[in-house]
Amino acid sequence: MNTECANLLSFLSGELGEKEKKAFAEHLVQCSECTREYEQMTEAWNSLKWDFEEIEPSSSLKSEVMNFVFETDDEVPVRKEKNWSIYFFRQFTPVTSGLLLAVLVLVFVLLYSNIQLKKELAAINLPMEVKTALSLQPADKTAVNKNTDGAAYILQQGEERRLIVQIQNLPSLQESEVYQVWLLKDGKRTNAGTFKPDEAGTGSLTYKLSIKDKFNQIGITREPDSNSTKPRGEKIVGSS
Amino acid sequence: MKEKLDKELMALVMKKHRPALEELYDRHIKLIYGFIFKFTNGNAEKTKEIVQLVFLKLWTTKSSYNSEKGHFVSWLLTVTRNVCVDYVRKDSVHIRNNKHMDMSHPIDIEDPNNDIENGLLHSEIANAKSKLSKPQKRLIDLLYWKGYSLTEIAKIENEPIGTIKSRLHQSLKLLKKHLEVGGL
Repeated sequence: MNTECANLLSFLSGELGEKEKKAFAEHLVQCSECTREYEQMTEAWNSLKWDFEEIEPSSSLKSEVMNFVFETDDEVPVRKEKNWSIYFFRQFTPVTSGLLLAVLVLVFVLLYSNIQLKKELAAINLPMEVKTALSLQPADKTAVNKNTDGAAYILQQGEERRLIVQIQNLPSLQESEVYQVWLLKDGKRTNAGTFKPDEAGTGSLTYKLSIKDKFNQIGITREPDSNSTKPRGEKIVGSS
Repeated sequence: MKEKLDKELMALVMKKHRPALEELYDRHIKLIYGFIFKFTNGNAEKTKEIVQLVFLKLWTTKSSYNSEKGHFVSWLLTVTRNVCVDYVRKDSVHIRNNKHMDMSHPIDIEDPNNDIENGLLHSEIANAKSKLSKPQKRLIDLLYWKGYSLTEIAKIENEPIGTIKSRLHQSLKLLKKHLEVGGL
């Protein structure tokens, strides 16, 4: 007789948990006293199930039962999926969702600043060199702007190319007027931006060149406003 | 379908053969219905729900019946009782707990089959059961036919668990004795 023997009746009435049930079943094999008792008890216990009268239910019950069985069985896969998604979303309490969001934001910020930093470092490390220098001359030497001159440079740093235009002694402009820089290649013009000179008539412009920006000449025109898509005003200076 | 044995029908049910389940229903519904009707103390609505769960269990069970488990009908009633016990445990833990609080009202066990004068006792077990003392009978009813656990019964009866266990032990021994006598 040991402590396991005390579980005989709980085992019989099916009250033990999985672990205890297994432990008792193992005990039962070894304990002859329990085995004898169990056989006697089981017979009486199993006979209890016959203590009732058979009853004929209403004839409508069959279709209700069958509909319930086959409809519920059809739903089983759906229900499993639902349970899975419920389980999944249950992981996201307001606290965990908030934490997750905060962590994601932090990751993005750090990643972004890291990429920027790398770019800057790369830019610092790369030498900048002047690829091309063009001298700019007045378009019409007899006009008022005959003193106007300047230069355009193409600077290359790594993959990046920039056009720098610097001009002195530009004629002063009216209210909305601007100077506009054009890139010329085989008679085709590309807009490279507009600028206004200072009071002394000095103006400059920096334009980031894309890979497809190819040109062999530069022209600067005086435009009525900064909306020109092709030259409307007179040409002031240009490369020769 | 009609000439097939119960175990053959059950094997077909495992293979999702619908007419086999319907045939099992036709053969055994009176038995299953009567059992559950007693278990629910004559509640027709609960009986219907549990009948549905029993057939759902037969339809979806992974543990197939084989003849080592005893007679098919005996196995079927064991399955039925398991569904009943699961049902009352899930359904009324709260109600049961409340009942435990209030010990002044005794729990009434309706058991028409235990009334000899009604002439309803036909089975051996009912006869053997009639030989039990009142507390013994009450214990069997609470445990077997109400699905209470031994611990719960100890609380309901306000007695130590050891007393309840030894009463069950005696009850089952007495039942067995009278079953043997009845069988002679």
